[in-house]
Amino acid sequence: MQRQGVEKASGNDVLLIGSSRVLFDIQLNEWQAQTGVRPIQLASVGSSPLPIFHDVVNNTDYNGTILIGVTPGLFFSTTFPQAQPWQWPQSKVDYYKKRTFAQISNHFLSIPLQESFAFISDDQGVDGIKLKELLGKIKVGTRVPDPMPPFHEFGEIALDRNTVMKEIAVTDTAYANSVKKVWMFFGKNAPAPDKESTMAFFLKDLKTFKERGGNAILVRCPSNGLLKAGEDKFLPRTEFWDPLVKASEVKAYYFEDYEQLKHLECPEWSHLSAKDARYFTTELVKIMKADGALSNSKTN
Amino acid sequence: MLFNSLSFIVFLVIVLILYYAKLFNWTNKKRMLLLASYVFYGLWNPPLVILLWISTLVDWIAGNKLSVEENKHKRKLWLLMSLFVNLGFLFFFKYRDFLLDNFTTVVNAYGYGYHSQPMNIILPMGISFYTFQTMSYTIDMYLKRSERARTFLDFALYVTFFPQLVAGPIVRAEDLVSQFYEEKKATIHQFIWGLFLLTIGLFQKVVLADTLLSDTADEVFGSKSILNALDAWTGTLAFSGQIFFDFAGYSTCAIGIALMLGIILPDNFRYPYGAIGFSDLWRRWHISLSTWLRDYLYIPLGGNKHGVVRMYSALMITMLLGGLWHGAAWTFVIWGALHGIYLVVERMLKNKIHVKIGPYNGIVLALLTYLLVNFTWVFFRAREFSTAKNMLSSMLFMHSDGEKILQFFDIIKIFIIITILFICHYSMRNTSMKEVSLKTPTWVLGVFWAVMVFLIVISQGGGEQFIYFQF
Repeated sequence: MQRQGVEKASGNDVLLIGSSRVLFDIQLNEWQAQTGVRPIQLASVGSSPLPIFHDVVNNTDYNGTILIGVTPGLFFSTTFPQAQPWQWPQSKVDYYKKRTFAQISNHFLSIPLQESFAFISDDQGVDGIKLKELLGKIKVGTRVPDPMPPFHEFGEIALDRNTVMKEIAVTDTAYANSVKKVWMFFGKNAPAPDKESTMAFFLKDLKTFKERGGNAILVRCPSNGLLKAGEDKFLPRTEFWDPLVKASEVKAYYFEDYEQLKHLECPEWSHLSAKDARYFTTELVKIMKADGALSNSKTN
Repeated sequence: MLFNSLSFIVFLVIVLILYYAKLFNWTNKKRMLLLASYVFYGLWNPPLVILLWISTLVDWIAGNKLSVEENKHKRKLWLLMSLFVNLGFLFFFKYRDFLLDNFTTVVNAYGYGYHSQPMNIILPMGISFYTFQTMSYTIDMYLKRSERARTFLDFALYVTFFPQLVAGPIVRAEDLVSQFYEEKKATIHQFIWGLFLLTIGLFQKVVLADTLLSDTADEVFGSKSILNALDAWTGTLAFSGQIFFDFAGYSTCAIGIALMLGIILPDNFRYPYGAIGFSDLWRRWHISLSTWLRDYLYIPLGGNKHGVVRMYSALMITMLLGGLWHGAAWTFVIWGALHGIYLVVERMLKNKIHVKIGPYNGIVLALLTYLLVNFTWVFFRAREFSTAKNMLSSMLFMHSDGEKILQFFDIIKIFIIITILFICHYSMRNTSMKEVSLKTPTWVLGVFWAVMVFLIVISQGGGEQFIYFQF
């Protein structure tokens, strides 16, 4: 439904793409309050933004603003179609292209049911309540070691894909710690980044987008703790973010460069609480407006 | 549109209201059903409804001509036109890339270096089903085995009747068109039984196939490793259950929905995993296709009337083409060939060894049949021969150090489900669900029904497409 909105979007609109950090950290209400424009949220968890950006650039005429979240471990991860950070967003692009009228009507019919019944849930893993998820929690011995720690869903997503962190992830340290363990697991098992291919792929699409008047903005959202330490060690700013910004020649914002943003704490090291996300969005928009980054948008 | 979707529930409710409200006479109700059937199909891909129209129009014209034409030569031409159009669609949409691939391989084997460009054409949903159904009409007309449909509306509805349009059962004209001649209305008993069948079909699809079995089958057949025997067997057994519940589930839904409209469709499955031998299996698995292949391929090829060699040849050709019907890949051909070989060997053995089937040896033979069927499923499910080869060698215990990929619980779950499935099929061999239901207390049926509905609801299927739609 949100991707459909891009087809009708004008030069004044704003698209948000990236991984879960953009999803959690950019709050649509705050953005709208600041600018008068409600962004279209296309960020996707565990995903490289490149397939979505490629789709928007090559399959639409959109020439407004695109905010691109740069989570280094995902942005620079891969261009290999079968790799998960690519496959997940690409599957969404493919679904949009190939969806049938029946699937569209299923979606609309499911909305009132999703809003009315608590048992309808798409949560997976330990928090899932579907039969498949319930059965998946049953363990009888260990035949094949499963090194991945149990993963708790820590966000709540609305119909317009505005996402906020669940309060339990903020107040329950054990809950937040279980998520941190998952980030550590992914960090340890992540393949080496593919800076060359990812940058080349992105810059090609970016050139096309800029040539038709599009306005791209790069944003590095906050992260903390061991996760940030790992990012700094294996994907240092000087080797990844800085060259990307330089080659892109677009407005770019790294949270640590701003006094009002650099001290924000992520309860599970990677995403902001709902309250902090609202603050982050408000401050980020102020910074961007002051910087003239939202030149394509009508701002109030 | 999928039966296991919210859109279909709304669609069915609207159709039932229009069908039973006293708004229309019978002709208009049929028009409404026809329109609903096109909507049912078109919500997937509207332009491909045109193929249905062309098939309908061509076979209606051919049928009309065949009903009055006496000139043998002209009769043959009308039949050929019908076959050309229907098989032409099938070849173009389903087999074109397969034939082109094979042509390229053969040509390049002689050093020509030819490069083909696959068209990657979308496969119209259910094309294998409705082309076979509509071809049976013209072939029967040619052979003067049936009468032409009375009106174009009746014939168009026969080709397009939504409950069985995309995955069967493949119904003969004489069994379905004649039901459209007079107003049909389900009795209250038929309506409830139809709703019960629809629930069972959805339970088979959503709960058993998609929720309990598909992940294990996908994980095993998606693995690139050489697997441990237990994992390979678990994956194959899971797929044997998945394909049955998926396809039988669709057929049961189709039969139930038609019955709610007062239309009776034939059974498509009769507890196939309880079969003793392969002839028995094919009298129980996808009955409408196996009888179609028997009547329009095996018998015209000579059947069992022209000696042993011709009979075995006809059997093999029928099963090879039957395999190809399921998919444009050599793995499906091998699947058909294996079934052909099983049938040939069984007939050869039957002539030499006479076994009286009793309760004890019966279950052993049924189990043996089921185990052999599982080897064929490997080719059916594997996308590549290398996967099939690895799976078979693992199943034959040739890799003692094969990789383990399944957890104990998954293995236990699959073996419990498959054991129950086998026992149910074997014990139901000579009866039917209807007979069993009549002997079962109403409250037990009610509880069973409620449990099924509950499990369907908490499964919250993601609307996975039925496997047989791709055939």
